[in-house]
Amino acid sequence: MKRLLGVALGVLTAIGGFVDIGDLVTNSVVGSRFGLSLVWVVVVGVVGICVFANMSGRVAAASGRATFEVIRERLGPRAGLANLAASFLINLMTVTAEIGGIALALQLASSVQYLLWVPLAVVAVWLVIWRVRFSIMENVTGLLGLTLIVFAVALFLLKPDWSSLGAQVLAPSVPEQETAASYWYYAVALFGAAMTPYEVFFFSSGAVEEGWTIKDLIQSRINVLVGFPLGGLLSVSIAACATVVLLPAGIAVTSLSQVILPVAEAAGKVGLAFVLIGIVAATFGAALETTLSSGYTLAQFFGWSWGKFRRPAQAARFHLSMIICLLSGAAVLATGVDPVLVTEYSVVFSAIALPLTYLPILIVANDPQYMGEHVNGRPVNVVAMIYLVIILAASLAAIPLMIVTGAGS
Amino acid sequence: MTTARRPRYLRPPGRTLDAQLHLLDRQVLDVDGVPVTTVDDIEISAPPPDTRIPAGTPAPTLTALLTGPVLGTRIFGGRPPSSRLIRIPWRDVADVGVVIRLGVRGEPLDADWVERWIRDKIIARIPGGRHDPR
Repeated sequence: MKRLLGVALGVLTAIGGFVDIGDLVTNSVVGSRFGLSLVWVVVVGVVGICVFANMSGRVAAASGRATFEVIRERLGPRAGLANLAASFLINLMTVTAEIGGIALALQLASSVQYLLWVPLAVVAVWLVIWRVRFSIMENVTGLLGLTLIVFAVALFLLKPDWSSLGAQVLAPSVPEQETAASYWYYAVALFGAAMTPYEVFFFSSGAVEEGWTIKDLIQSRINVLVGFPLGGLLSVSIAACATVVLLPAGIAVTSLSQVILPVAEAAGKVGLAFVLIGIVAATFGAALETTLSSGYTLAQFFGWSWGKFRRPAQAARFHLSMIICLLSGAAVLATGVDPVLVTEYSVVFSAIALPLTYLPILIVANDPQYMGEHVNGRPVNVVAMIYLVIILAASLAAIPLMIVTGAGS
Repeated sequence: MTTARRPRYLRPPGRTLDAQLHLLDRQVLDVDGVPVTTVDDIEISAPPPDTRIPAGTPAPTLTALLTGPVLGTRIFGGRPPSSRLIRIPWRDVADVGVVIRLGVRGEPLDADWVERWIRDKIIARIPGGRHDPR
């Protein structure tokens, strides 16, 4: 019974934890401009993150080594440092976007300017990282994030023409008013939003935090294989809501208030309350994960003592670096830069940086010295190789597409 | 591969370690399993460069694992003066595996001075800094 409860909790947390500001904004933008013609990318991304998270969780459980320790060992100091610089900066961009997301959601709830919420959000994120136990932190934000299911409820309340939605999903085509380049640009963005590298740093480091062994792998596999696809379904319903309400009205999403507009129209004030709680919880959870990830990557590269399971005084550099990251995120937001814009760039850069973390994990997952008998099986490797090609293609195509489309505008 | 075919007396005793493969960039844990650092470089007892090495000189041995600013010089080139190197003596190493384990506590080591400084001057002074999360 207790085991079943653990599985249920893990799955629910994975669903709630899947969606972050990147998924919210990107899915909404895509829905409002391209309808459901890009749903296939979400499917590709979700399968990819399942493969990737599963692999890095297995590496962490079998060898006790988290992602960035492995990256430095495999790539050496020079390429490792370049990798760290890229991954860390993109992660910092995501931290900034998530904090901005918390502040924007609180602005929608309170009508108080979001810049005033930024310091509060930063302090709250820091306090949780400083004080709250890892498992409680994970479960509370994950479960509260589940209120985002209101997007799926809203979709039903909107009574859409299901057959035309289905046709868009099954026979994707570029809408007339959009160019093929911007279609593919948003395909890359959506892929990056679903497969953000921080999820993998966080997943593998979390496995070490919670002291996973090979025995716990089955549970983690269920969490990932059930939770992430259901999280992906949540992403699709966000896009579908935008498709039904915003696309016909000709509203291209540029702010968070437009993201929640369909829910407000379909489910009124109650729906609005749910969606705001959900967005705050999802972005807060993701802000915790990305902030921790920035500490994890630095600490693992330089070999510092790290982990929330230690007293802060026993992981001093780890905690100091996270404080500095939060402050820099707040400083960036204080310039008045639009958090939604930061989010849109962060998902594309995530797609660009993805091979940097994916390849070393794939190599180590095949190394018996680390993995013993738990090396990748042949079927996993076949899928992993296909994804290597997809990830490389997305990464290489991202910058040219960004230039050609003027970042999707 | 070639070692297997060599006569027994020429084979090195014990386990052969490849500096690049088994030592450099490995995580170092202390006797309690607390991370200390990553191996940023290693020091061997080589004679000073440009000196004649007389016959019969014993082979150089590994004397210390290095950490700290030496990572910068390893990546970008150059060599810090010997007095500036932060060493973990090789005799403190207990085991070399997927991680390198020390036989001593990491806390008093020179390699941990930055961690100690940040802990004592900053982190431990923030309320709750010594609170056990579990």
